[in-house]
Amino acid sequence: MTDLAVHDTRSRWRDFCRSSSVSFRVGIVILALHLLAAALGPFLSPYGATEIGAGVPLSGISLAHPMGVDQIGRDVFSRVLNGAHIVILLSVAGTALGLVLGSVVGLLSAYVGGWLDEFIQRLIEAFVSIPYLVLGLLAVYAAGPELAGQPVLMVVVIAIVYAPRIARMARAAALDVVIRDFVTAARLRGDRAWSIIWRDLAPNTASTLLVEFALRTGYAPALIGAFGFLGFGIQPPSPEWGLMISENRNLILATPVTVLGPGLALASLVVAVNLTAEGMARMLGRSVDLAVR
Amino acid sequence: MILRLVALRCFTAALTLLLVSAITFIAVELLPGDVATSVLGQFSSETARAALRMQLHLGDPPLDRYFLWLNNLLHGDLGLALSSRRRIVDILLPRVASTLILSAAAVLIYVPLALFPAVAQAVRHNRPLDHTLSTVTLILASVPDFLLALILLVIFVVALPVLPAVSAVTDTTDLAGWLRALVLPATTLAVVMAVYAARMLRDNLIEVLEAPHILMARLRGLPNWRILWFHALPNAIIPTLNITALNLTYLAGGVVIVEKVFGFPGFGSLMIDAIRFRDVPLIEITVLIASAVYVSANLLADLVTLLLNPRLRQARA
Repeated sequence: MTDLAVHDTRSRWRDFCRSSSVSFRVGIVILALHLLAAALGPFLSPYGATEIGAGVPLSGISLAHPMGVDQIGRDVFSRVLNGAHIVILLSVAGTALGLVLGSVVGLLSAYVGGWLDEFIQRLIEAFVSIPYLVLGLLAVYAAGPELAGQPVLMVVVIAIVYAPRIARMARAAALDVVIRDFVTAARLRGDRAWSIIWRDLAPNTASTLLVEFALRTGYAPALIGAFGFLGFGIQPPSPEWGLMISENRNLILATPVTVLGPGLALASLVVAVNLTAEGMARMLGRSVDLAVR
Repeated sequence: MILRLVALRCFTAALTLLLVSAITFIAVELLPGDVATSVLGQFSSETARAALRMQLHLGDPPLDRYFLWLNNLLHGDLGLALSSRRRIVDILLPRVASTLILSAAAVLIYVPLALFPAVAQAVRHNRPLDHTLSTVTLILASVPDFLLALILLVIFVVALPVLPAVSAVTDTTDLAGWLRALVLPATTLAVVMAVYAARMLRDNLIEVLEAPHILMARLRGLPNWRILWFHALPNAIIPTLNITALNLTYLAGGVVIVEKVFGFPGFGSLMIDAIRFRDVPLIEITVLIASAVYVSANLLADLVTLLLNPRLRQARA
């Protein structure tokens, strides 16, 4: 009996591998490397993230410094390894917070309907119409100087940027569900709104929201990087990749690898999550458009 | 009927902008606690703070302040910038003009950059060229814009030493100087925009090329290039209009990054400076303008789609 069950899961796993596309598998592998770097990076890195004098400044690519050495003698490769968990944790936390906020608002809006739905929709439209970078900068400004540069602010900023966009998606998905008979039945049974949203709407929109979450998470590192790059994100001496790219941009003609190294890390993470999300969406029978900005 | 739809769409656009102005006002003037301390810093003198509160009418109730600001805005009175004490109109106009020129250049590069790969991919559907270009666009879609800007900087400044690394333009810059300054920032913006449009246009074209009217045209013996450019492309482009609108909205935020990377003195770098120096009136107006670009681009796309597609006109009515 146990044998049979094991055999069954194994063949299902094999089917899963066979049905997944090549790009999905490539995405998973790169993503796994990133997760590995995030988990073990601080232990594997040959030098410390803020260790000054790890090498000769601007000495370029060498076996000891595969991504070169920055202006004050820090090993860029070690910094990239030490930054992985920062970028990934902030992205996941920010997107998750945005997902929760957005789903609650979107599902509630679809369920309640009427003037409240209309009002929420207009409000969401207003938030979405502020370009995401500008909205994020506005949030950084509103948070005041005390919170500036704190990781928690970055999480909140990503959530604020994503929540309205996720809410719109959640509402659209829930509109197809609220008209179904089992929701009417629950309503007639006298179930409370929260119970219907949690037990009926959330599970039935879960696959849409899951794909949305994956795609948004994929773009979050670029967003964090953009804020770091502009000087409104995580502050030095953190090895956040966008910040590192900004710090090393003056070296781009002397030793391009100090910029392209963290850049490659950032871009490959975004590619990996995008490929994985796209493959996942296809397996769930959904089409995705890449335009998640 | 169609007039009513257009009017309704314009009304919601205006409503959205009104809400944006309220959100901006709340975020800039109400949330950060005491605006005077937030602008002048913790160690400013009490007299300086009091003077600033007077200038910004901070003693008045928030709702009064909001309506006063809105009223002034509608009358074209943008007030003075805090940091430079110059009239905001005078600061804003040249910056907006520069960014409009940059955006126009970006759109000029964007159209062929989106069109040709998509057409090539559709013609060579499922052949190596199609797969290669798909991979390239996918990777480009994943490279953040600030990184793309730096990569282009390395490639072009090293390969074509005529291009400046810093795209500074002033009143005295001549045409050649402007063109040199525009190439890199405009190309960066164009690539970011084109990637999405090219991917979408490719899918649409492939779908349209299998439609009955294309088969009919083939059977009538029309040359392939004629079928492609005059029969398939116009039909495939309509859904891309929404992406183009989305791309114009990308420009409103994208210029912030790209202008910063290349040191281009436009609207985007003005906004960054306004936030860095906590220049309250300047932040409010720049955010509002950026949103206005988004709202009007979407409005335009909706109206064009409405006018181009008679079926949609009836379906919505």
